[in-house]
Formats: sequence, structure tokens, C-alpha cells
Amino acid sequence: MDKVRLLLTLITIAIVVIPIVGMLLAYQNNLLGLFIPPEINEIADNLSGGGTNGSGLEPPTMVGEPQYDEATRTFSASFQYKNTFPIDITIKSLSGNIKCDEHHFPLGNASLSKPVSIDAGETATLTVLGTWTEEAISHFRTCTQEKELVDVVLVDFAVDISGIQIQMDQSQMEQRMQVPNPAP
Amino acid sequence: MNAIFTKINWFALAGGATTIAVIAVSLVYPWWQLTVGDDLLTVNASPVNMNMGFLDTSFTIPFIWALNIVSILTLLASGIAMLIYSVIPRKSYSKHLLGFGYKKPLFTVLFFVIGLVVTTVICQAVLSLNVPLMGSTTSTLPIPFVSGVTLTVLLSAGFQWSFWLAVVAAGLCLAARLYHRKVATVPSATTAT
Repeated sequence: MDKVRLLLTLITIAIVVIPIVGMLLAYQNNLLGLFIPPEINEIADNLSGGGTNGSGLEPPTMVGEPQYDEATRTFSASFQYKNTFPIDITIKSLSGNIKCDEHHFPLGNASLSKPVSIDAGETATLTVLGTWTEEAISHFRTCTQEKELVDVVLVDFAVDISGIQIQMDQSQMEQRMQVPNPAP
Repeated sequence: MNAIFTKINWFALAGGATTIAVIAVSLVYPWWQLTVGDDLLTVNASPVNMNMGFLDTSFTIPFIWALNIVSILTLLASGIAMLIYSVIPRKSYSKHLLGFGYKKPLFTVLFFVIGLVVTTVICQAVLSLNVPLMGSTTSTLPIPFVSGVTLTVLLSAGFQWSFWLAVVAAGLCLAARLYHRKVATVPSATTAT
């Protein structure tokens, strides 16, 4: 009976000690590697743009002329965005407030027309729809009447990328663009 | 025939078999799963197999892998001990086998739940990251040295069916301990013959 008890105790000790000591011996020259696997460093490098494929976060570039629909007070602008991350992403939503660049007058808001999926390293076109407020139209009539194109800036930028929502205030992100003057 | 049935601790037999089944199942299905964003990051946790996945890259921490091996061997030894005990509950050494086997699944489940709770509390206290044990929540990630940027992620977590199977195994092993008094008692009629 005591032999069974002793055997069970030895089994308990061996089960706990052998794997842990074995792992410590295997990593005796790299104890940090015992807790931080190499994959974590690779992922961190790739995400920060320092990996073999990454080149850092690139701001979107405006392509073509923005279109304006007078009936709905809505304009649309297209941007090209290159996904420099080593992963496929889906831009589910994008929104922001639009201000007059010259007078800092709030003009309306903008949002992404539809979600866009971009494979790693690929470039896709994002269509942003913006709606002017009544006050914005008055502002255009009084302050920028002589201009065909008006400089505006997108502030309070919020984007949802594959379930991760990033919000940037004016100090971090200002997307400037030229839009057709709705009241030329 | 009836005597054979009364000599077997059925709870121990079921508990031992379920414990071994838990090991096999847990190698594939985690006990608890955390998803960040739209499957951007997944954490698959169980005492038997813990790994993390970042999209297509799956990795495990070597020290935790060693602890997983400890858990596998512990549960395997427990399951085997319970199975052996279940068919010979009246031997002089049977109580040692039962004592060795019945606690381990229960302690494994308890330590796992305690470990999860402690980890989520540490995440909340140190990183100000609200990780749910069950359900979904949005949590704001701290970004050191950067002001004006807020990063909010959707965190979804939940216990999987393999966890509840482990709870059943622990319950059966506990029931086997309680049933031991009944099965280990030699009936007086049998003693007389």
C-alpha cells in the first residue's frame, strides 16, 4: 500500500518537474525566448513597417475630380490607399467632419460609401461621400463665392479597420482636399 | 453478474473516460476563446493547449507549452488512475488511486478559471484593458507616447463546449469520491458466503 502511495507521489513530482526543467534546459541560453516567441517580434516588425514587405503607413491620395450633386447637397471624392500592412484588411467605415480650410467653418460630414477590402500590399479606391449643411451652403455663398474649387479639411477622423476603430483628432490627422464649390 | 456491477464505481469509470476524452478534445478545441476585432487576433486557451493566432500566424509561448505538457500528463495520469480504480474499488490501495485521480480534473478546472480571472484583472489594472470573460465589449487600447489617437477594439470572449466537458469530468470524479463509500463497503451477505 505504501509502495502505491510512493509511486503515485513520484509520478506527480515527475509530471510537474520533467517538462519544466526540460524546457528550461532547452532555453538555457535564451531565457527571454522562453516567454517571447520569435513570431511576436516578426509581427511587431511587420506592423510597424520595419519588416521585409512593409514601408510604413501611407496616407491616402486623392484621385480625379470630386463630383457634386446639387439636389442632395452631396459630393463624392475618390482616394487611393495602399495597404502597406502584411495582412489583408477591410475598411468597414470611415467618417469625419469637414471644415473650411480658410475660415475653419464647419461644413458637414463625410463617410465611406461602402466597405472596402484590400489585400496585403494592394491598392484600392475609397469613395468618400460628404454632405454639406444649410449653413455650409450659406458660408460658400458669402465667403467663397468667386472660387470654383474650395479647400476643405477632414478632421476628427474615425476609421474602422477589420473591427479596430481608430480615432484621430486634428493634431494627428488632417486630410486636405479640394471640392467643387456648391455656390459658385 | 449483479455482483460485478456493484463492484464497479461507475462514476469513476465515466469520470476517467471523460477526463481522457477532455485531453483529446482540448488539443483541438480551446476551453476559452478571445477574439480581437474581426478575427485579427485570437487567443485559444485551455490547460492542455494554449496558443495565439494573428491572422494566419499561430504561435505559442514555450513556457506555457511546458505547463500544457504538465497538464496533459496530470490529466492523463488522473484518467488512468480513475479507470483502474473504478474496476477494483475494494482493493487495499484503491483509495490511494482514487485520491490521486479525482482531485486533478477539479483542480485543473479551478486553476484555469482562477488564472483567467486573475489575467483579466491584471489586464484591467496594468493596461487599463477591459477583457471580458464572457460576451463582447469594446475596449480602448492605451497608446504610449502618442496623444490625439484613440484605438478602440471589439473584444469577444466565451467558454467553449470543451470547458463544460471538463466541468462534467470534474463533477463525475467528485461523484466517484462520494460514491466510493457505498461501493467500497463489502455487503454483509457477501461476507457470510
